[in-house]
Amino acid sequence: MLHKRDKSNIIVFDFESLFMAIKSLLLIQILITIFCNTAFSKEPCNFTVRGKVIHDENNEPIEDAYIWINELEKGTISDEKGNFRIDDLCKGSYSIKVTFLGHQEEKKKIDIERNASITFRMKGDDVLLEGIEIHGHRDAVITTSTVSSLTGRILDESRGKNLGEMLKQISGVTTFTTGANIAKPVIHGLHSNRIMILNNGIRQEGQQWGSEHAPEIDPFMADEIAVVKGAETVRFGPEAMGGVIVVNPPSLPVSKGIKGEVNLIGASNGRSGTAAVNISGGSDKIKGLGYRIQSSGKYGGNIRSPDYFQSNTGVRELNFSGALGYSSTRLGMELFYSRFQTTLGILGDAHTGNLSDLQAIIENGRPFREADFTYDIVNPRQEVIHDLLKAKAHYHLSNGAKFNFQYGFQQNQRQEFDKRRGELNNRAALDLELFTNTLDLSYDHATRKHWNGSVGLSVMQQVNNNIPGTGVTPLIPNYDMYNLGFFAIEKFTKGHLELEGGLRYDHRFVDAVRFNQNQELEKKIYTFRNFTAFLGGIYSISQNITLSTNFGSAWRPPNINEQFSQGLHHGSAAYEYGNPDFKSEQAYKWINTFSYTGNRFNFELTGYLNQINHYIYLNPTEEQLVSLRGTFNIFQYEQTNARLWGLDLTSNYEIHPNLEWYARGALIRAKDMVHGNNLPFIPVDRIESGLTFKMKQVGKLTQNRITLSNLAVAQQKREPDFDFAPAPSGYHLWNMSMSTYIPIGDNKLNVGLAVTNVLDTAYKEYMNRFRYFSHEMGRNITLRIKYNF
Amino acid sequence: MKKLNLKLLSALLVPMAFILASCEKDDPVPEVDQEVITAVTLTFAEVDDADVPVAGSAFEVVARDVEGISLGNSPEIDVISSLEAGKKYQLEISLYNGIADEDVTVEVAEDDTEHQFYFLGSALVGEAAFLTYAYNDSDGNGNPVGLKGNIAVDESATSNAGTFRVVLRHDSNKDFTGADDPNFENFEQAGGESDLDVTFQVTL
Repeated sequence: MLHKRDKSNIIVFDFESLFMAIKSLLLIQILITIFCNTAFSKEPCNFTVRGKVIHDENNEPIEDAYIWINELEKGTISDEKGNFRIDDLCKGSYSIKVTFLGHQEEKKKIDIERNASITFRMKGDDVLLEGIEIHGHRDAVITTSTVSSLTGRILDESRGKNLGEMLKQISGVTTFTTGANIAKPVIHGLHSNRIMILNNGIRQEGQQWGSEHAPEIDPFMADEIAVVKGAETVRFGPEAMGGVIVVNPPSLPVSKGIKGEVNLIGASNGRSGTAAVNISGGSDKIKGLGYRIQSSGKYGGNIRSPDYFQSNTGVRELNFSGALGYSSTRLGMELFYSRFQTTLGILGDAHTGNLSDLQAIIENGRPFREADFTYDIVNPRQEVIHDLLKAKAHYHLSNGAKFNFQYGFQQNQRQEFDKRRGELNNRAALDLELFTNTLDLSYDHATRKHWNGSVGLSVMQQVNNNIPGTGVTPLIPNYDMYNLGFFAIEKFTKGHLELEGGLRYDHRFVDAVRFNQNQELEKKIYTFRNFTAFLGGIYSISQNITLSTNFGSAWRPPNINEQFSQGLHHGSAAYEYGNPDFKSEQAYKWINTFSYTGNRFNFELTGYLNQINHYIYLNPTEEQLVSLRGTFNIFQYEQTNARLWGLDLTSNYEIHPNLEWYARGALIRAKDMVHGNNLPFIPVDRIESGLTFKMKQVGKLTQNRITLSNLAVAQQKREPDFDFAPAPSGYHLWNMSMSTYIPIGDNKLNVGLAVTNVLDTAYKEYMNRFRYFSHEMGRNITLRIKYNF
Repeated sequence: MKKLNLKLLSALLVPMAFILASCEKDDPVPEVDQEVITAVTLTFAEVDDADVPVAGSAFEVVARDVEGISLGNSPEIDVISSLEAGKKYQLEISLYNGIADEDVTVEVAEDDTEHQFYFLGSALVGEAAFLTYAYNDSDGNGNPVGLKGNIAVDESATSNAGTFRVVLRHDSNKDFTGADDPNFENFEQAGGESDLDVTFQVTL
């Protein structure tokens, strides 16, 4: 009987858990109806042309394209989503021209009899503009897989958050958190080594295996953060089975002049201050030479939950990056360096001594120690430094082909300090240094009628060292790793159809060695080989409707901790041990997206299925370990077959030129197909909806927006068989934000005020590892000032 | 121009080749586990009416876990069997890390404001209790530690067997209400974590 009920759970959409979310939407729906019925009165010259400008090759929106109606000598500029509108048109025939730097001019004739909608697909200008190629320098992800990005205003409004928190604005992306400061992005239920982060084109290699190891990335560096939701192993190498996060800095200037940006952010919760500066310019002596320097810092104290301060949750961050680039007709080169440095406090109560400690604090439901506000950070804490040095070049051959070179060097230093006795408090209990060299070479062949594509080679070499002297037997060994991959991708484009396929072969060699707890030398050598492939397509049924599908395979060799773990995990009073004989995980992800871009209504629905064979997970055994320190649960890494599927929804509707409604939601199901269990830590069904009130101009203030939104998160009813405590109940959060742009001469000031958790609701999030004994952040008021010069 | 470009490319490639070649893992260094307690010794000594230990009366009870916290081994725990009804004893606790060959007692004494022992189990708490513990030491702030204390055995004990649980708390709030009671059963509420949680059997 029980088995049967379990089965029905995965198939039947859980209406019950979304019911409260729908209820909250009802009010908004009523408002919409009222506005719709009052907003429009007919006048002779009140037709509107709306449209979207996108890159022809990848459907990415183009911001700042110039749209001009010849007959009226009237024009406008596309916004960050590529959208534009021209109001107050009379009935008649017009010719519209769209121009964008580095692209061929697009012209269309339209007859206006009613409101119209047009999409302009801009083709890259292969005949280089003024000898300088602009678009080729962008690392825009060109794929048939579903891509969602944060750019422009949306990015501005989320400044000051960490990468994980920022990405939550994309439906289907959530976070896996450890307390208030550590957030790992989760794409379609997968995180850590099952997704990939491309930091300025280089695959980020930190100690990603740990759930408390947040990505070492400064989001201030980026002007675009995109999420590719498909399996992208072929393009980017092993581990990209759940998706890829692409963090792109702006392109370097190629003409003379200096511009810059200053961001100042203050937040009430944690009483944190964040500052960021970004200056870029081009040389007036050497044409095509540009540079950028950028720095950001953050200083924050204890985070407040509605009823208490969370002890030791302060944060420090200091980041720097610099880039130098040169661009000519044929050659483009870039040198980039970045440093990310952070100190993170970890909630003291999370470090439990044994199982009865853990059970006591879970029963208490909140930390035992009463904390006050302080900026001080004590143990347990993390000190992390990540350096990245990158050199990149491309060269256009005379036959139209292009050769790309990219080299990256990364150094990741991670120190974790525990609460210990005496002098040991000043010694890291975990002290790791990870060096990674990556070399990517690729050749894009000349476009032949409908075909273009590339072949490439990527080499990765990695060294992991434990810095001796921790006084703790290391959790993971020292190792050398080499990965060699070859790939070929080919794309066919004809009319409204794009088809793309690719193949890749990877060979990985790992040589690991360590002393185990019994002081015996353990040495293991591994070789992993794998083929992966993908096939995808995009078809534009009409100007408004686009369908895309992508089927890709992916693989992930077992993490070093999954193979070698043998020791105590204090946060979960668990003794974990790995299995050195694991096979690689094999994933097959099929993702489909339906997208409608209309006059006033936009809608995107994504559905996916991800089958992962040999899925590695931490299984609670029923055994316990008794020691002088007390009792511990024994957890063992095991392999099974997992199946994940889900839906992402994004939609917005312009009720009135001054009022917009949006909604985004995600639903996900994950099952262990061998044992019929639910997988642990799978994001809960959620829906967020909001109303934005927009005013183009109020006095000197432009692009004014006020948004009120609601996030409804259900309770996780598909819990794994074992958990320390039942899943927390669902919750509702109300958030609001407002922002405006003020022109000051040629410069621009952007001021934003946001309040999250307006009602100071006390709640727990299922995806927080500390949910057993702590609540999420209470009300937080953030003031942002950004000055562009 | 073309030559220059090649030069630039090779300028990028050459240093990279060096970095690729020079990076190899270090030989691992065995770590001596510093945080482990492999032996807990309870030293009981009978005391006279003036609380002065009677010479030659001391005896030791030991709990050992030679490998520290690792799979497959359970600690060996002696039975406390030499206490006599109606008598008073001094109890001193010493802790030893056999892996690093270190006397952990000294470390606890140095960080005494961050450590406190609690004495629980059926021999000390509840209706059948027949032992009474009292702290006989204090830290820099005048709060008890429990490295040294006194135990009185009930003269008319209704039971002659029970458990004797020793818990060492690290980083707890000693000012928490009730935290100065050696038999404080809700010691978790004072925060901190257990460095030691071992249960002896006791028979009179």
